Amino acid sequence: MAYLNVEGAIKRYGATTALNGVSFTVAKGEFFTLLGPSGCGKTTLLRSIAGFSQLSAGNVELDGTDLLTVPPHRRDIGMVFQDYAIFPHLTVAENVAFGLKARKVAASEIRDRVAEALATVRLSALSERLPAALSGGQQQRIGIARAMVVKPRLLLMDEPLSNLDAKLRLDLRDEIRDIQRTIGIAAIYVTHDQEEALAISDRICVMDGGSIEQIGTPQQIYGQPATRFVASFVGTMNLLSPAAFGLPDMLGVAQWALRPERLRLAEGGAGEHGASDFTGLVEHFTYLGREAHLTVQAQGHRLVAQIAAPPADLAIETGREIRLGFDRADLHAFDAAGRRVRMERAA
Amino acid sequence: MSAVAAPAGRSGWHPDFWTLVAVGAWAILIVLLLVPLGLVLVSSFRDESGQLTFANWQRLFTSARYFNALVNTLIVGFGGLAGALLLGSVMAFCMARIRIAGGRFVSMMAILALVSPPFIGAYSWIVLFGSGGIVRQTLMGWGIFMPPIYGVWGILIVFAFKFYPYVYLLTSGALVNINRSLEEAAENLGLTPFQRVIKISFPLVLPALSAGGLLALIHAIADFGTPRLLGRGFNVLATEAYTAYSAEIGSNLGMATTLSLVLILMSMVFVFIQRYMSRRNVYHSNLINRPDKIQLRGFANVAAHAAVYFIALGGAMPAIIAAIYSVRKTNGPVFQPGFGLESYSRIIATLGDVVRNSLVFSGVSVLLIVVVGTLIGCLVARRNSAQSSLLDATLMVPYVMPGIVIGVAFIAAFNTPPLVMTGTAAIIILSVFIRRLPYAVRSSAAALRQVGPSMEEAAVSLGYSPVHAFIKVTIPLILPGIVAGAMLSFVTAINELSSSLVLYVGGTITMPVKIYIAINDGDYGTAASLSTILLVLSGSAIYLAFRLLGRDERALL
Repeated sequence: MAYLNVEGAIKRYGATTALNGVSFTVAKGEFFTLLGPSGCGKTTLLRSIAGFSQLSAGNVELDGTDLLTVPPHRRDIGMVFQDYAIFPHLTVAENVAFGLKARKVAASEIRDRVAEALATVRLSALSERLPAALSGGQQQRIGIARAMVVKPRLLLMDEPLSNLDAKLRLDLRDEIRDIQRTIGIAAIYVTHDQEEALAISDRICVMDGGSIEQIGTPQQIYGQPATRFVASFVGTMNLLSPAAFGLPDMLGVAQWALRPERLRLAEGGAGEHGASDFTGLVEHFTYLGREAHLTVQAQGHRLVAQIAAPPADLAIETGREIRLGFDRADLHAFDAAGRRVRMERAA
Repeated sequence: MSAVAAPAGRSGWHPDFWTLVAVGAWAILIVLLLVPLGLVLVSSFRDESGQLTFANWQRLFTSARYFNALVNTLIVGFGGLAGALLLGSVMAFCMARIRIAGGRFVSMMAILALVSPPFIGAYSWIVLFGSGGIVRQTLMGWGIFMPPIYGVWGILIVFAFKFYPYVYLLTSGALVNINRSLEEAAENLGLTPFQRVIKISFPLVLPALSAGGLLALIHAIADFGTPRLLGRGFNVLATEAYTAYSAEIGSNLGMATTLSLVLILMSMVFVFIQRYMSRRNVYHSNLINRPDKIQLRGFANVAAHAAVYFIALGGAMPAIIAAIYSVRKTNGPVFQPGFGLESYSRIIATLGDVVRNSLVFSGVSVLLIVVVGTLIGCLVARRNSAQSSLLDATLMVPYVMPGIVIGVAFIAAFNTPPLVMTGTAAIIILSVFIRRLPYAVRSSAAALRQVGPSMEEAAVSLGYSPVHAFIKVTIPLILPGIVAGAMLSFVTAINELSSSLVLYVGGTITMPVKIYIAINDGDYGTAASLSTILLVLSGSAIYLAFRLLGRDERALL
């Protein structure tokens, strides 16, 4: 089933190791995201697949053929760049037609396909403009159209939205996802923005320090983080020491973790079965409309709680005592090496 | 990392090409720069019979003549620097921060001062303020005594007006680019306007100010024409080196090379001092808020305009005088009352080959400069190896080398086998080529760094081979910069005097050399009209460069 197969990818720059034996597969039509902090090796990996940087060791196969012996311009892999890389001396239409010309496509077909691609990214009206006059969002749309129009075997995107402002980022994110689904192309997307990764991907590969921490669906990555790194990099995690909050001191569990939205106000109400209630001191209260954030000091821990749909009159003063509660079933457990301990045993 | 480098290991063609470029670049530098300079060094330790001697260096410090020249060079260097800094910073401040009527005209005057052919500056000052100068005679007629402009003060005045554009162009650029918020923040924090200038504005423009000052200083100590014409016994190293080389009896190449070395060393020391001074002071700001120009009123406004126009017209005066004198009626070398085109018809009749020489020599050297400079520029910009950094550093040497030194070095290297070139056109072309090469390398490397590797990578990912991507994407993007650079090289090439003066023979005489000879012979009409032709040629080249680059006067430096 594997369409793209990366095996044992290693990249060394002198004494430093950028990729430390990375292996994964991407299926046909899948939207696969490499997620990690800067310097985790995700861009190096992407550029190795594109051919702009060479692996020190390892294999990359695309559709059953070895990719590494093919020079970059024959790999037929589309790429969308962080800085757009739109050719400033060519019009919008010429930019999109650029790859088709290299493939010696007939002029009439070029015209049709460029028009179609520009319609897809909603830039038809600007086709004769020079890119310098266009906004960042428009430039990146050209970049996407230019990469897609040649119908490459694989589409690579290197943080394509990181130079755009927040609102545009959301819009273009959804557009990218729609276009990719319509065309049915396999895509690898690099980002350091965990929310973007969750929103856009079929599967996410979380990386840190040149190694893979976890590969899984967005639900798996967020709901069952395989390591403590994944747990705290994707979303927010409250880390609790083993013996705090009346938790059982279990063999092999070095740390408990709890999502902020799993903490709830427990004022007055008695704890249900399997629930732990505790008292803490309010440090901060932030009311955000659709939710409210609480920072609470309790039992030597600084905990963040997120209350969904807070009542309109909810106001909590700093410095007062508050009672919070959580379900033990919502806890994550990690061992001393930071690996996940299966919850069936923990709960 | 770049697309150019990436497929290198596979195709096997690309590294060979760039290695070839590197080898070629080193060959050029060794033959045209390092060997001549090495021979200059060797020759300064030889006497006429070829024996090892320290006599030349000894004479430098013991002979009053050479020691005076050394001191004089420092005097005109720092005096010229002070004058250029004064005029340049006044001009820069007024033009950047105050509304000046006719601002475009003023900056045109500054450019005119910058590209005025050498010599003609000094000559025009003599025409106005020399012993028989028009202004002096008029003032004397009114009973006002005015000393003639000859001597050290004359040289300093000419230098100040000749070199202020370096300071002005760089500093006004920096002043315009200071984020207004910085000055407003300082004001808001309670600094008086004066404190604000000293503590905020001055440190921010210091790098530009010192870079402009350095250019003025280097040009002032290398200048040969001005002290030659105005000095009247006030000699500097450049003139003494030329005299030692060209004296009909007792030509002394050893002394000429010794003096040349001192000049190079001096320039180098000043470059390092300037680098050291501005080492921390590189500021980048993403500019949001350009400072406003203020409208002055009353006396202050008149004073600002007077200062700006005084400096601008003073600097452009030589060019204007040359243009006027070129259309004065002449009879032989003697000016007659009224206007006429005799000087130009004389040039057409007898000096066609001089004009042609100038055009051909500069054309060929610019072609060489562009091709070789672009290739080396690509190498320096895209290959971050120790070897290419060394190449870049070596190219700093011709950057600071006075023309007279290149001339003397080429004589030392190419007068005897294995490579004899003296008396040929090639030696003049190559001397201009090596002097201007660093500028072309720098400008094409800078243009290339602007493009960024992702452009080429995008083309490669779309199916173009690296070479093809370079041709389709990178070349069109850097072409305007290259052509503009070529135009500016043309301006310096066609105005080159001091190295050609050492290297020319009867058949390879160029316009600037002819101007020098004509002035020495008292044939001012010819000198003025040749100068005007040079000005027109330079002006056209600059106009073209500005059309291509967008108007940025700093590109001229």
